Amino acid sequence: MQHAISPRNGNVHGANPTACWKAGRDSQTRRNDGHHASTDSDLASDAQVVAVYRWELSPGEPETAKIIEAEHLTKIYKGNVTAVDDISFEVDEGEIFGFLGPNGAGKTTTIKMLDTLATITRGRASVAGYDVRKHPGAVRDSIGVVPQELTADEELKGVENLMLSAKLHHVRGEEAKKRGDELLKLVDLEGAAGRKVKTYSGGMRRRLQLAMGLIHTPKVLFLDEPTLGLDIQTRKNMWDYIQKLNRENKLTVFMTTHYLEEADSLCNRVAIIDHGTIKVSGSPSELKERLGGDILSIQVSEGPDLTEFFRTIPDVSAVTRVGEAYRIKLPRAERALPAILKGVTDKGLAIKEISFTKPTLDQVFLEITGKSMRDEDESARGPAWQNDTTERMN
Amino acid sequence: MIDETIALTARALKKWVRNPAAIMPSIFTATFYLALFGSSFNPINLVPTQINGIQIPSTMIQLLKTAFRQSFGGAPTYITYLTAGVICLVLVFNMAFGGIDLVEDRQNGFLSTLLADPIPRASIYFSGVLQNLVKAAFLAILAFTIALFVPNGLKLPSSFGVVDLAGVFSAFILLAFALSCIFTALALSLRRIDSLVAVVNFLTLPLIFTSSALFPASSFPDWLKAIAEVNPISKASEAARLLIINGSLSASQLSTFTNDMVYLAVLAVVLAALGTLAAGRVLRAE
Repeated sequence: MQHAISPRNGNVHGANPTACWKAGRDSQTRRNDGHHASTDSDLASDAQVVAVYRWELSPGEPETAKIIEAEHLTKIYKGNVTAVDDISFEVDEGEIFGFLGPNGAGKTTTIKMLDTLATITRGRASVAGYDVRKHPGAVRDSIGVVPQELTADEELKGVENLMLSAKLHHVRGEEAKKRGDELLKLVDLEGAAGRKVKTYSGGMRRRLQLAMGLIHTPKVLFLDEPTLGLDIQTRKNMWDYIQKLNRENKLTVFMTTHYLEEADSLCNRVAIIDHGTIKVSGSPSELKERLGGDILSIQVSEGPDLTEFFRTIPDVSAVTRVGEAYRIKLPRAERALPAILKGVTDKGLAIKEISFTKPTLDQVFLEITGKSMRDEDESARGPAWQNDTTERMN
Repeated sequence: MIDETIALTARALKKWVRNPAAIMPSIFTATFYLALFGSSFNPINLVPTQINGIQIPSTMIQLLKTAFRQSFGGAPTYITYLTAGVICLVLVFNMAFGGIDLVEDRQNGFLSTLLADPIPRASIYFSGVLQNLVKAAFLAILAFTIALFVPNGLKLPSSFGVVDLAGVFSAFILLAFALSCIFTALALSLRRIDSLVAVVNFLTLPLIFTSSALFPASSFPDWLKAIAEVNPISKASEAARLLIINGSLSASQLSTFTNDMVYLAVLAVVLAALGTLAAGRVLRAE
């Protein structure tokens, strides 16, 4: 079904959705460590004079090409608690970018710095081309924020919440109504729009908040744990909405999640963050391929040793034999499958059992951090300032 | 700024209108103070008719009653004296607790969402003040109406007109505005409802009992009288009371009324400025 939601943003940000994102250690190394900020300041002094002048009148045109840029971003809360520690990354227009990590890793704090809710202790960030510190108003005008808390006013009707959001984003009259109708249709809340939000399920509230975050056609949508607490069916529906918005409107989505399958399914790129630092970044398939690829398990009838034969299959990186069973490590098992099956049967052996497993992001997380993210989630809540929303807010 | 303030005010008032239970405490307070407290205590009736079995001459009794009445500003009934004070009392409690929705907004994350919206942060504060003012106006009218219907209750002078009524409600609104400015900023700075309740209880009861809302300050000891004279609740209740009891004011009464109103207006401006500054600091990014 086509929806007439037109992107407000054009292509002014010079999108190159395939090759422009760097994060973590690579990025920091490329940026010449701690000298980067001062070097930039020196080089950009003229531009900053212009920017200051513009601030007095208006934020002016976007100053950078990337839709989101973060350089050496650091957040230290009172009590010298470092929530985010010197992270750098860039996001291109039209990407779905995921921040993946356990509770307390620094995901929400990063979003709060980018959406102007938290001050930046060190480093800099720009969103939609506007420096977050210099032009917080222009940033707020360009973004939609869907927090992890269920914040829609439950004493108001769904449509009233949506129209309030429209007014606060300066969308008025017929335009607000038309846009509201489109979004209610998109998130399947047309029938429930006239009901008070307190009668909504958790999934309905999240969908309403998604619509509220989109009412002004933002350039960037920040989703903080968009499917937290939802059942798997509702979660998948939310994925569909997000993918649809991204696909049809080229909406850039910056989302945090600690659901690995969510990041895997939705995101073009992810960064794994733990204890405030980006441990690794890349597309989900790139990260999984770093583990060495799939594991193909095959059990054959008694016969000659096939280890050497399996090693001749292109891209196979390791073969282990236990009795008549072999474990073969290779990037894409499905591609090698026909050659393996043919080779085994040509040697006159019967295949008793064959299966292969793909690596998961949880395995990536395990590899990078030395612990399973699922275990982290269950056993380790972050410090109170990271988990208590009332404490985080200011 | 104005559009955002109106939008947020409309949201708050919509919720208020849909929850009739929210105004019930105010109705109870006004009714009980006026109908029960006001009826049970009538100072005129304290004038004795005899002392130690000796009958007091009726002229003396009348003289004493007149003296008592004058102590209460010349009010024909105690409820007539009390009405302005009770309305001030209702407004004090409502303005003090008026920020409770803001604390809830902070707790449930709604405030956080607002702070990420492209709106002037002052509109969050001003909407808190404005919604309280609308509620104050409604509650003042409600309490005034209750006073009129209480048996032997509020008796307005024959000269009392629309202009006097406007003057009475101006005093109430100025008081409500001043209090709302400071209590809204306070609510924005608090993260827990029980903290607000504790602070409000700590502030409101002394504020009321050091005022001449319920009794004339002439009966107070000097130290309490000195506090009552600068207490904005005294100023508002006395300004309103002058009109309620007298209708048309004499030159000296008009001067007193004007001084009280100027005092309230200056206080309102000062507290609005302080509240705006405080709210601005509180709503800054962490």
